[in-house]
Amino acid sequence: MAQNWFSAPAPIARRARAYFAPVNRVTRMPVVFDASLQGAFDLDSPPASWIDLGPIQGLTRTAGSKSISIMAGVPAAVLEQARETLDAQVRFEFLSWTKLTMALATGSQHMNLLAPAAGAIPACDGVQAAPAVAVQAGSTANILQLAAADVTRFTVGSMVAVDADYTGQTGFVGSPVSGAYLRQPLSDVDYIRRITFNVALVSQVAGSALTLAQPLPAGVPAPGYKLQALTGFVDREGGAFYHEWSALFVITGTQGERIFFHYPRLQSIAGAEEAAQPVGGKQGGGLAQSLLRGRFLALPVIDPLDGERVLCYRSFLPAPRALI
Amino acid sequence: MALRSRLASVNPERTILIRGALRPGILVEEAEAPASQVPPDVFVLRWLGLGSDSGLASTLVAQECEILYQTCGTQCFGGLDRGRALTAMDAELMAMLEPCSTPKTNCASQPPATMLTQVFWNEPALAPVVTQRDRVGRSARVTIYSYLEQGE
Repeated sequence: MAQNWFSAPAPIARRARAYFAPVNRVTRMPVVFDASLQGAFDLDSPPASWIDLGPIQGLTRTAGSKSISIMAGVPAAVLEQARETLDAQVRFEFLSWTKLTMALATGSQHMNLLAPAAGAIPACDGVQAAPAVAVQAGSTANILQLAAADVTRFTVGSMVAVDADYTGQTGFVGSPVSGAYLRQPLSDVDYIRRITFNVALVSQVAGSALTLAQPLPAGVPAPGYKLQALTGFVDREGGAFYHEWSALFVITGTQGERIFFHYPRLQSIAGAEEAAQPVGGKQGGGLAQSLLRGRFLALPVIDPLDGERVLCYRSFLPAPRALI
Repeated sequence: MALRSRLASVNPERTILIRGALRPGILVEEAEAPASQVPPDVFVLRWLGLGSDSGLASTLVAQECEILYQTCGTQCFGGLDRGRALTAMDAELMAMLEPCSTPKTNCASQPPATMLTQVFWNEPALAPVVTQRDRVGRSARVTIYSYLEQGE
């Protein structure tokens, strides 16, 4: 009978892919990834809550957990080991600049640069913004209905932030991604739209509707949501806020095997850093790609299976017909 | 065979008539009658170096493949579109090579049998354009890898 299995060598792969999902900071709930249920997902269409950040390079995982030896006897010999500290870090470079990759690659608060109002006084990140317009009923995650008088303020190529007015709340602000933590109320009615991740690019303007090139991360706009144009993004070195995300890294081998690194809670530990990568090797003629560099610290969760505190899960789905 | 199927999908109009049969415009040089020149507007695969690593759980075989292609452009433009035609072939080649793996097939059996492992390859290295009279052409090199299976 023909052999219907093979011995698989170590996986050979190109770049890893990264997926992130926001941790609910209020309830402290990370996003679960179950390799047995979800491991075969289409890499271009990740499971619900996970956002595809595309290929990354230089994925390096560092386990810094320390063990101590419990000695006994004369002369002393190791009787047992005990885990003294839990520590794991991960670092890599993003291959694109987007709202999310930029936010992930900074250890601080990340904001939208709202389009300024006429005659606004320059400010580093909080310029007085052009007034927001109300999102009308019938809007979806991809199509925003506006009043006829408002739609003229947006064109194809406009970037927009969609969220509620700030009304003086404190604590974690922003949903589903907490973009800031406020200790005291502010007076800026646009503050939530400054820190929201609910942003998109306008791909079409027809009638009184804006069609978005990508769906809004928060889905269908809630009643009362407003829309503001933005010109870009800004982060700052300093501040007290740390973003927290669930992260999933996937390495797909040439034989169809998959390795998953799931970090339920990950916080950036480095300030904004970039890496210059020459384009086209030595023939690049001085051209260099500026890559966002991310360095993260894993925080523990309690594994409901047995109550152990863990930082990361590594799962492996072998290649079909490979010996295990 | 995989590249043939992919080319038929990428550009169904790129075909070649060989021995009375119309096929996707890609052929293996050693499997056809010797010719003094690469035919225009088709992809020609030429096998080069061979290496192996038997120190793995399964022996890994690497074989270098050169893919040559040339074009004179189209008659209706008097060949003045040969640069664009070559660029189109460049794009078709890159599209054919993605994704960079395909199931390994035993073509010695009839019908060809799908084997257990995957054949995979690295990114192509494209050589500079070569001009020969009214023809422009290029070659690309790809290293093809596969694991030896039982009976090979």
